[in-house]
Amino acid sequence: MNKNMIFKGRIWLFDDAVDTDQILPGYAMAYPQDELKKYAMAGSAMPDFSQKVQVGDIIVAGNNFGCGSSREQAPVSLKSAGVSLIIAPTFARIFRRNAINIGLAVMQADLTTLVKTGDIITVDLKSGSVELPDGNVVSGHVPGENILAILAAGGLINKVRQQLTKQEV
Amino acid sequence: MNEIEEYLAAAAGQPEVQVGEDITIRVDLAMAHDVTAPLALTAFAEIGIDRVFDKRKVAFVADHVYPAPTVQARQGQRQMRNFANTYGIKMFEGEGVCHQVVAENYSLPRGSVVVGADSHTCTAGAYGALAIGVGSTEFAAAMATGTLDIEVPPVYEVVLDGILVPGVYAKDIILHLIGAFGTAGFTDKAVIFTGEWVRTASLEERMTISNMTIEMGAMLSYFSIKNDVGSVAKVHKFDVSMIVPLMAAPSSPANVQPVANLAGQTVTQVIIGSCTNGRINDMREAAAVFSHASINPNVNCIILPASQLVAQAMEDEGLTKIFRRAGATIANAGCGPCFGGHLGLAASDDVVISTTNRNFPGRMGSKESRVYLASPRTAAEAAVAGKIVTPGTVAELGGRTDE
Ligand code: SF4
Repeated sequence: MNKNMIFKGRIWLFDDAVDTDQILPGYAMAYPQDELKKYAMAGSAMPDFSQKVQVGDIIVAGNNFGCGSSREQAPVSLKSAGVSLIIAPTFARIFRRNAINIGLAVMQADLTTLVKTGDIITVDLKSGSVELPDGNVVSGHVPGENILAILAAGGLINKVRQQLTKQEV
Repeated sequence: MNEIEEYLAAAAGQPEVQVGEDITIRVDLAMAHDVTAPLALTAFAEIGIDRVFDKRKVAFVADHVYPAPTVQARQGQRQMRNFANTYGIKMFEGEGVCHQVVAENYSLPRGSVVVGADSHTCTAGAYGALAIGVGSTEFAAAMATGTLDIEVPPVYEVVLDGILVPGVYAKDIILHLIGAFGTAGFTDKAVIFTGEWVRTASLEERMTISNMTIEMGAMLSYFSIKNDVGSVAKVHKFDVSMIVPLMAAPSSPANVQPVANLAGQTVTQVIIGSCTNGRINDMREAAAVFSHASINPNVNCIILPASQLVAQAMEDEGLTKIFRRAGATIANAGCGPCFGGHLGLAASDDVVISTTNRNFPGRMGSKESRVYLASPRTAAEAAVAGKIVTPGTVAELGGRTDE
């Protein structure tokens, strides 16, 4: 996790309502954690996503990304496949929290009509600004302090560990 | 502030809260089940702490894959049991679906915070708990710290006035709402239910509705007993007497249509039960149909009591006998086929009428199987007819037989 919360990466564009079965199909839940990345987006419109994605890439999607079950394996598969950030106008709440908790950044913004797959964008999460390929800057929702603190720690477990050690000192 | 904001402020130990504010709230009960707990135990071990925040306030429930259909499932339950014994926490095995087990075993005053590693944790809003579904990592953190970080959601009021007509139930009300608002209608939002109907509804009825608020994306669902809940973002009013028997057709809980429009569709499997509709009032409703007529030979009918207490009540009231005589199979209290785990998976050409809460493709087995969600009455009548029929076709409607 980069401490500055600045993400520069190549975009993969997805539609509205990408549910957890598309992100990580139920059958893949049985595989060991370190193999989940092979099944990232296996149930989606881009089933070969995991072979194409590179470390640092950004997913841009439509509304209600991650709806469906509370399976944490869904964001885990995306993160381990190399996805650094997911941008969508709205997320299903449990998916969004799961992503943040495992240290995968998400931002609320509607970019679906502004970018296409393959575009490179630069996102400053702390200010919520997105620099588009044409140099224009659009703004998204700035995540709350709590969220930024979890991401800065590299996930909720690290943050809790830091908190508990601080209390004991 | 409205009622939810007041409770959130109290749980955060601050005088007030603002919509969108990040707050840290105390947890009164943290619950996980045999699919989510094993992953949470790994996360808990990574935190590296040697105790849970309060052993009386953590509960494990083996319900999703109980009795274990695979060695791996049993391995997870053994892990949970060992952890529970080490840390002195309570584990319920085979006592029923987690949300029902929580309702029966914990007295949670209004405004209590329940954190559950299951998306249907919102069921507890029926009795006034602030019940939030989380993933495994967040559950592990809650188990360690006794707190949960949330953003204060905007609160919407759904007013349910009027009286249900015979053949229409709480399930039809929530299907009507999901149809109206869609699966993302209340994402990141909280819903307070009020109104004449709410004030007269039984706990079981309120649980059926609260259970499915996640199908509209809601973060919190709360049933108020007040007339005035304070200022909210928006008020939506419904007259429940206008609602007709409904079904969610394949493959979304929001694909809601009147049963009358779907009548005639052949049915091959019927599931009555789960955390949505597996309580004694639901069983009475189904038994009212099965005491008149037997199940169609082309239909598998599985009864899924939400808990052992429900199963016992079924026994005591003579319902078990009615179900068996009619040809139904009574499964153990638990999740069973609801999420495609075991005990009645659907084949590609199965058409299932289920009283559960989700009918996404493949939810109950084969991706090609078709699942319709309905009330216990509608489901039971379909089991007898072997096809979808409007309630009252197979056996006369007795009005509100369950209260
Ligand atoms: S009965 Fe179904 S919806 Fe309820 S907790 Fe079990 S699997 Fe989930």
